[in-house]
Amino acid sequence: MDQIPILKIGDCLLVSIQVDMHDRLALQLQDDLTNKIVTSRARGVMIDISALEIVDSFIGRMLNNIAAMSKVLDAVTVVVGMRPAVAITLVELGLALTGVRTALNVDKGLELIRHLIDDEQDPDDRREE
Amino acid sequence: MNARLLAISIEQETDIILARQRTRSIAALLGFDSQDQTRITTAVSEIVRNALEYGRGGRIEYGIDGVEPLQALTISVEDQGPGIADPEAVLAGRHQSTTGMGVGIIGARRLMDRFELHSKRGTGTKVTMAKVLPRRSQPVTPAGLKRLVAGIDVQEMADPVAEVRRQNREMLTQLDQLTQRQGELNEVNRELQDTNRGVVALYAELEERADHLRRADQLKSRFLSNMSHEFRTPLNSILSLSRLLLSHSDGTLLPEQHKQVQFIRKSAENLMELVNDLLDLAKVEAGKTVVNPRDFVVEDLFSALRGMLRPLLIGDSVLLLFEDATDVPPMNGDEGKVSQILRNFVSNALKFTERGEVRVWAQYDRDADTVTFKVRDTGIGIAAEDHGRIWEEFSQVEHALQRRVKGTGLGLPLSRRLAELLRGSVAVDSEPGQGSVFSLTLPRRFDPMAAERDTREIWALDAARLPVLIVENNPADSFSLERALSRSRYQPIAVRSIAEAEAALEQLSPAAVILDVLLDGEESWPLLLKLRQSDKWGRLPVIVVSTSEEEGKAYGFGADAVFSKPIDPAVLVRALDEHTGVNSVTRVLVIDDEEISRYLVRQLLPRGAFDIREAATAIAGLESAQAEPPDVILLDLNMAPMDGFELLDRLAATPGPPAIVVTSVSIDDRLRERLSRASSVVSKYDLTTDTLVNAIRQAMDGEATRVS
Repeated sequence: MDQIPILKIGDCLLVSIQVDMHDRLALQLQDDLTNKIVTSRARGVMIDISALEIVDSFIGRMLNNIAAMSKVLDAVTVVVGMRPAVAITLVELGLALTGVRTALNVDKGLELIRHLIDDEQDPDDRREE
Repeated sequence: MNARLLAISIEQETDIILARQRTRSIAALLGFDSQDQTRITTAVSEIVRNALEYGRGGRIEYGIDGVEPLQALTISVEDQGPGIADPEAVLAGRHQSTTGMGVGIIGARRLMDRFELHSKRGTGTKVTMAKVLPRRSQPVTPAGLKRLVAGIDVQEMADPVAEVRRQNREMLTQLDQLTQRQGELNEVNRELQDTNRGVVALYAELEERADHLRRADQLKSRFLSNMSHEFRTPLNSILSLSRLLLSHSDGTLLPEQHKQVQFIRKSAENLMELVNDLLDLAKVEAGKTVVNPRDFVVEDLFSALRGMLRPLLIGDSVLLLFEDATDVPPMNGDEGKVSQILRNFVSNALKFTERGEVRVWAQYDRDADTVTFKVRDTGIGIAAEDHGRIWEEFSQVEHALQRRVKGTGLGLPLSRRLAELLRGSVAVDSEPGQGSVFSLTLPRRFDPMAAERDTREIWALDAARLPVLIVENNPADSFSLERALSRSRYQPIAVRSIAEAEAALEQLSPAAVILDVLLDGEESWPLLLKLRQSDKWGRLPVIVVSTSEEEGKAYGFGADAVFSKPIDPAVLVRALDEHTGVNSVTRVLVIDDEEISRYLVRQLLPRGAFDIREAATAIAGLESAQAEPPDVILLDLNMAPMDGFELLDRLAATPGPPAIVVTSVSIDDRLRERLSRASSVVSKYDLTTDTLVNAIRQAMDGEATRVS
């Protein structure tokens, strides 16, 4: 059984999707990730989709779900490395990914997560964002 | 150009990935840029997921359609699912998805250039979408298409797991086809078997028909031979009486009367001749003619014939010549029959020859060891189309001369039969006006074994009856013996000689033998002695038919019973019963208040096989049945004071013999129900020996099966 590895960097979890995901794998990732957030007390989740050639509505929904769940578990989610073609297609497809924060690459993503975690500590700032 | 590129079946989740990969590679091969590749792949991913999720799997097909420069990649996804209730609503975006983000179909439509959705409740869904090929890419030609497909294959090979899966799937498809093929084969096989059964049934039917024909033919011959015997006696009387009248020993006849009696006599003679020929023919056909082979010399045969045939010559216009036959080696055969055939040929030749000669000669063929006799005349000849017909009974060729000369039309057919009996053949060579040559070819030595083999009968055994071997050479006696047994439980098997009897014994294992002491040229004592001395047949009942003087001798040889002719059928059957230990007399109780009906039944049932008791009332019948139970009861319905229905009920109260209703009342369904206790119902209007005997047999057979 394929499994997508989840790496821990500090209080951040890093998931790099390197394979063409089928739906069950996506659902499993969702489960694994939420569990890992709880056990590792992580504050941020970064999902690297630079290897994904397509993101269809199912994967989109999965990304949205992960973001929503980690938020409930007090963690922020950033999706990084989306290819331009995928981005265009997502928009054309009508998927907004409204609950998901994105960053261009892993560096920028880590930066964003730091920033977000810091912000979280001040709830008022969060509202302004 | 419309062409199919590839088809993938979608059965499980990983197939979505496969479809995505294929889509991407096809799109790349067709020259779509990376953005469009992503678009197309995303659309496919959406639609294929729908097919898997809602339609429980389906099929995706890639193709090219349209003409350049407006060619398009078409992708159609089909599933066998429950379908979409309201496709319009989905396309209009009014549908709320419970699983995806509700954008799958609409989004996919946005990503493609053409998008069609066909769906109905219960018939599955078909989505066809297309993307126009990019302008800068090469138009797809048939050759290009080939390369394209090959390219896809190569890529497929690159993924071993996918390849294995693909091959597995192919194998499954082939297995499926094989199973289907197997089913078809089974179907065809079953059909063939049915046909075969039909053919076998037909064959059996044909066999049965042939058997019927054979029996009918045998009956005909037997009838002819018996009837001819009967004809001869009165004819002989007419001949003798007319001869007496013509001799004037009881007073003179007037000249006119003398002439009339002469006519009577002439007619009787003609009739006699006809009857004799008929008898000969029938004898041969019935296989009753016995060949008596002896050594003889052709030259002697010719001189005898010469003497016999000279009286047939009238005037000097026709000469009868026998050629020298001293170089023909001595023959072995039935000289009398050869002579009879040649006499027929010669008298025939003389009849149709007005002037010229009739020449007779013989030739020996050393290689075939046969002798050919030829009779050539200079007569009217026979047209080729009639050559076959002259050998048939009663056929005569139309000719002026034919009408004048008298004949029975039996001479040549008889000759042919006799020749066959002697293992030889006859032939004719003739042309109208050119005369005829009749020839008879015979083996120089008559082989009795060959004749024996060929004339041996195939006996058809009746499983329900016991075979009884009748050894009797006289056809009339044999016939009357067979008749005597015809309605009994015994099946008569008639043979004419000891040799045949021995063959039949081995073949049939008869229940008894009826043996005539005097056979043709042999006495049957040796057979009796042989039977008594053998282990196998030592206890076989043998009934000897003999003259009273030899009764003691017969018992001395071990006969079980001795009778002299004529034999009473009932006595014969009783003797057979006694010695075979089979009780074949059926005891019948007839209960009917009408004396005429009882009389009829009594007359119709053959005496030997049935022992009949009668009762005039139902009560008397009941008493009789209880006092001494019969094998079967025949009863009337209309009786007083107790009628047949009540009688049936009373009889059924205790286990007893089967009852057959014999009535003049017409039976409707209501009555039939009341008569369910009876084994069968026979109408008095349909009262024949056959119907009665059959009803009784059936009733008793039914009884036997019920008891066992």
